[in-house]
Amino acid sequence: MSQARPSRAAINSYQAGAYSPDRARPFEYKSKVGVQDKYKVIGFISSGTYGRVYKAHGRQGQTGEFAIKKFKPDKEGEQITYTGISQSAVREMALCSELNHHNVIKLIEIILEDKCIFMVFEYAEHDLLQIIHHHTQQPRHPIPPSTIKSIMFQLLNGCQYLHTNWVLHRDLKPANIMVTSGGEVKIGDLGLARLFHKPLHSLYSGDKVVVTIWYRAPELLLGSRHYTPAIDMWAVGCIFAELLSLRPIFKGEEAKMDSKKTVPFQRNQMQKIVDIMGLPTKERWSLLTSMPEYSAISTLTPPLSAPHHGHHHHGHHYQPQRQTGGGGHLEKWYYNTINQHAGGSGPAPGAASLQSLGPEGYKLLAALLEYDPEKRLTAAAALQHPFFSTGDKVSANCFEGLKMEYPHRRVSQDDTGIGPSSGSGTKRSGMPDESLRPNKRVKDG
Amino acid sequence: MAANYWESTQRRHWQFTKDELVMMRQKLEEEEAGLVQMFPLPQLRHLNIYFNQQINRLGKRLGVRQQAMATAQVYVKRFYTRVEIRRTNPYLLIATAVYLACKMEECPQHIRLVTQEARSLWPADFHGIDTSKLGECEFYLISEMSSHLIIHQPYRTLNVLQGDFGLVPDEVALAWSVINDHYMTDLPLLYPPHIVALTAVMLALVLRPVNGSGQGGSGGSGSNAAASAAGLAAATAVLAQAQARAAITGGGGGGGGSSSGPVTPSLTPQGSMLPSSQGSADGSAEGKKIPDARMGKVQRFGMWLAESNIDIEAMVDCTQELISFYECHEQYNDKHTREQINRIIKARGL
Repeated sequence: MSQARPSRAAINSYQAGAYSPDRARPFEYKSKVGVQDKYKVIGFISSGTYGRVYKAHGRQGQTGEFAIKKFKPDKEGEQITYTGISQSAVREMALCSELNHHNVIKLIEIILEDKCIFMVFEYAEHDLLQIIHHHTQQPRHPIPPSTIKSIMFQLLNGCQYLHTNWVLHRDLKPANIMVTSGGEVKIGDLGLARLFHKPLHSLYSGDKVVVTIWYRAPELLLGSRHYTPAIDMWAVGCIFAELLSLRPIFKGEEAKMDSKKTVPFQRNQMQKIVDIMGLPTKERWSLLTSMPEYSAISTLTPPLSAPHHGHHHHGHHYQPQRQTGGGGHLEKWYYNTINQHAGGSGPAPGAASLQSLGPEGYKLLAALLEYDPEKRLTAAAALQHPFFSTGDKVSANCFEGLKMEYPHRRVSQDDTGIGPSSGSGTKRSGMPDESLRPNKRVKDG
Repeated sequence: MAANYWESTQRRHWQFTKDELVMMRQKLEEEEAGLVQMFPLPQLRHLNIYFNQQINRLGKRLGVRQQAMATAQVYVKRFYTRVEIRRTNPYLLIATAVYLACKMEECPQHIRLVTQEARSLWPADFHGIDTSKLGECEFYLISEMSSHLIIHQPYRTLNVLQGDFGLVPDEVALAWSVINDHYMTDLPLLYPPHIVALTAVMLALVLRPVNGSGQGGSGGSGSNAAASAAGLAAATAVLAQAQARAAITGGGGGGGGSSSGPVTPSLTPQGSMLPSSQGSADGSAEGKKIPDARMGKVQRFGMWLAESNIDIEAMVDCTQELISFYECHEQYNDKHTREQINRIIKARGL
């Protein structure tokens, strides 16, 4: 629905040249660019606490497609008013304006109009959540190893760019990793991103939501207040695991904040990590004992003795270890995962099996899911990992060689109104990821 | 990018030549010829001094860090390259710039508090301005700046350099106050932050802090003006020497253009990766032989410059700008400036 809009001429009247001395309020802000003059909204893509995202075409001959993120305007009653832009929106606007890398989603422009903020990005047809979901559809079939390798390389490349420029993403998860139809991976949604060379306050204070819990690094779960690039790298490890197994590797349940607003220890999430990674030890993580929630570790259940079931595969021997997080469980998890579909009746006989990722895949995964943030692989080091230099060559197009095409992003035609009063009452349902599950419609009030 | 000045929007979009600045401002005045005629304003340098002081006053009331105030200074400068001053209420813009800069520099202040403080600081000129006006002005400000909000400041360079050049606290404080002062000039729109920082260091080395003054950045350090003539001579000598030496050794420095230098591998804007020339041994020669020690520092600074790829011509110009600013500062009349601005606000109901 498109709203009756005042003419652009009237709106632009504040611009130089159109000044008239009798005007009552010379300091009135009007946008020079009308978002609806420049873009034609095709439909609604997703919503979150920040607002809504729309798919759009250019009206003025711009090539390509666009994703327009409209920040939810502030309201006093029914009246939309200026109440000051939120700090996270300011950060996102500022950071996205500076970033320029082929593995980070590109900002086209920002339009401030009618008390609303519109950030116009390049459009990406897919995201990792959607791609993972597609492979869980019956018959469940793994993502081709060449695709995984390319995705991981590009994702790490984007991370390295962010980190060398002192930007922490802080909310890496499959839904935030976009993939264009040309197979280019683009890190998106820098809504939580921050510069880390100027930690005036601890980077923890002031932000309630930090990193979707399944991808949250153990040091954060144990109460660390310092954000480091290593926190992003843990999330990258989790994403790698999810690309392999098609489900979140540490799928915990979030403990809600209690009435006193104290941040609870995320026991369930930490337990999920321990189930696979074993208990963290001070031998392997020297600063472990100084973590605020260190005492809580003793209340966690160590994983059941050594992994021992599952089929044996050639030439590989687990080190049966007890509790102490030697990675034995992760190794078992990895080989179980890549062997799962081997020799089976996959949908595409002759398609490369995940087994081709080999032991280097495990080593990369283990180095990313390293408990000690100091020892965890950095993005730069990960790019040098033998995983990428052995086996098949890494392609810059993660879809290269695929015979199928992934389903396109779902775009709802119901809502193409982008005006100030449209899209009110955006609610976020369940996990933030839900809004991008392609098979679920998000309810909009 | 965020940490990389060379790729930043600041370098790509907000670093101008003097001619460009003159043209932009001329254009704004021509477009508002009627207003300009009706409402004379003091010279721009004096307006800049006034705005600078008002930002600092509001910032101090709010207990805002220097870094955020510096960012607000640049926001105001950028805005007024796009919008004619007479069309605005500068007090509203200043309050908005401070409010936005605080968010950007990770020390946010509540919009209501900023409005309140502004109102009590400027009761007459901030009359009738509420939070929604400030919020509206924020849109205006961001829009005119094309959402380019990350500002690279010389303070960070200075922090890195002080160790490398073995500066003593007095020298650091003086360099710091020179950086504070440069926000009263056009320099933030003309030169990269490391050029400003290096110029500040050089001036701190040649302009001795007199009687321990120059403690901290008071802004408007008129005391500097006394030393200006001598300082200019000394500074020019240092730079000329460095330039000559660079010409012989084939180092950088001579390389023409103002802000458009290519990426200099030997020095990031933050000043890291300095050549290892400075021996720390004699850098510690404080105490009784201060004059000698300082002369040594000046010389080493000059040597270092000659070996670096720093645009020395830019530093020469930067020095001249600062010195002539200190001279011009003598004639600054606060009351006169304030009255002329207030007249516009009143007459136009801004």
